Amino acid sequence: MADKSREIPGRWSQRKRDIGTSLWVAFLAACVGTFVIFAVLDPEALNEAWVLPWEMSSRLAYSLGFLFLYCVSLVASALTTFMIRTGPKRGHARGKGKQAPPTVQAPEAENPDLDLGDWR
Amino acid sequence: MTEQASGESLYRKEPKIYPRQVTGRFARLRVVAVWVLLGLFYLLPWIRIAGKQSVLFDLPARKFYILGMTFWPQDFVYLALLLITAGLSLFFFTALAGRLWCGFACPQTVWTEVFIWIERWVEGERQKRMKLDAAPWNAEKILRKSTKQFLWIVFAAWTGFTFVGFFTPIRELGANVLSLSMGPWETFWTIFYAFATYGNAGYLREQVCKYMCPYARFQSAMFDKDTLIISYDSERGEPRGGRRKSLDPQEAGLGDCINCTLCVQVCPTGIDIRDGLQYECIACAACIDVCDQVMDKMEYPRGLVRYTTEHSLKHKTGHVIRPRIIVYGLLLLVIISGTLWGMTHRVPLRADLIRDRNALYRELPGDVVENVYTLKITNMDNAPHRYDMLVLNNDSVDIDLSRPLELGPEEVAGISVRLRLPKSAGQGVQHLDIQLQASDDPSIRKVIKAKAMMPIEFGK
Repeated sequence: MADKSREIPGRWSQRKRDIGTSLWVAFLAACVGTFVIFAVLDPEALNEAWVLPWEMSSRLAYSLGFLFLYCVSLVASALTTFMIRTGPKRGHARGKGKQAPPTVQAPEAENPDLDLGDWR
Repeated sequence: MTEQASGESLYRKEPKIYPRQVTGRFARLRVVAVWVLLGLFYLLPWIRIAGKQSVLFDLPARKFYILGMTFWPQDFVYLALLLITAGLSLFFFTALAGRLWCGFACPQTVWTEVFIWIERWVEGERQKRMKLDAAPWNAEKILRKSTKQFLWIVFAAWTGFTFVGFFTPIRELGANVLSLSMGPWETFWTIFYAFATYGNAGYLREQVCKYMCPYARFQSAMFDKDTLIISYDSERGEPRGGRRKSLDPQEAGLGDCINCTLCVQVCPTGIDIRDGLQYECIACAACIDVCDQVMDKMEYPRGLVRYTTEHSLKHKTGHVIRPRIIVYGLLLLVIISGTLWGMTHRVPLRADLIRDRNALYRELPGDVVENVYTLKITNMDNAPHRYDMLVLNNDSVDIDLSRPLELGPEEVAGISVRLRLPKSAGQGVQHLDIQLQASDDPSIRKVIKAKAMMPIEFGK
């Protein structure tokens, strides 16, 4: 949940920035991808090698190619943003933020009768 | 600032995790999973079924051979169904019992397990490994570390080789490796996959699950309060504390947790299950195994850490078999059985009749009209077949083929077809249903539609 108190008037919230960045970066990637792919590949030729039972015009092929690349890059960039935002908290040396890693001790330290002999 | 200047980090250091070895029910289950899954991975390409490698993804020929069946690009609907099945299974098993996939079946877990076996075999148990890492470089450390690296690299290289063996016939590949004549791409992918295995299973380990894997972040969407998850029964365990075995915990005001911290020491991701469900937990159940053993030694009942649901921990009624599970299960059943039915009942014949683009029709002497087509025919079966061609809805058509309709296994052919109709058969477009049927197997049958053009004579 976005923290309302941390929002600055006139500035985009973090959520809004994340969505905007994902959309825009995916768009740029899809543009470059479409440009490169169709520079070396003639969509007309696709009809010959196409395994699906329809033919498509080159305009439709360009558009679908772009939209497909846009969808794929959008999934990648949105997922990346999501993964970074929901990742483990960064811990602070003086005890702020992340909680300390669990403390461990020798099992027999507090339990003198615990015999660990056979599973070391 | 002074701390930073002196090189001390502002952030807390994550300690390296040395998971303690664990034995027990779930550890045995994981060993079985490792043997079965890796056994399949390493052996399947060497097994031959019906004269073909049992699993081979022949990308250049665009054909997949799986357990005696051949899949063509046209069969890509099965790939879609496979993906849907995989997705649904993930929902089903996660809703049922949490991250079973992570703990027992994920390649990350399975290969890490093998790398840890090697590490343990060469460097010894947890305490020994910690000591060895802290020790200065001496002859023993160099020997042990280099032996481990050597075994890791050999195992990773074999893994990379096997991986490529799913895409290139592995026997040929093996011969090529021995004669040092592997192709550049085969070499590249072998090294790539070997390096990925070495890095992921040898070094990244739990970091992949903690930082890189999206499944952990989405798990909460698939869980509910009736999902079986690995939990610490804090009501029974708290207040925790060390004690002598002879002490009666109730008299001393203690719970059943003896605070031996073994559950933390066995955890491959280094968390404390007693803090509740955490997204780092990969549900390997090592903490259950070790805690059960401790409970046995203390002569307490087992199950202080166990597979249970949030509802039952809070003494609320709830059922593991609930509508969500039933719906997912039924959907899975329908899709899997539908896919299997479709796979066993598909007709291994593909045919398209394409009209000759140059001429509409040709009039021959004797009031006969000829239409020319190309028959693109694919025998998708592993056996040769001879096919009979027949026009179902018009008896007067005469079929002339450029070659007999005999195709070898997996042969693709373009055959010129001339259909001759008497002028009396009609005017304009004639719709024909043409049947192709294997003469040795009537179940291999396909009906294709074709249009024959006839002259239109006005004023008659």
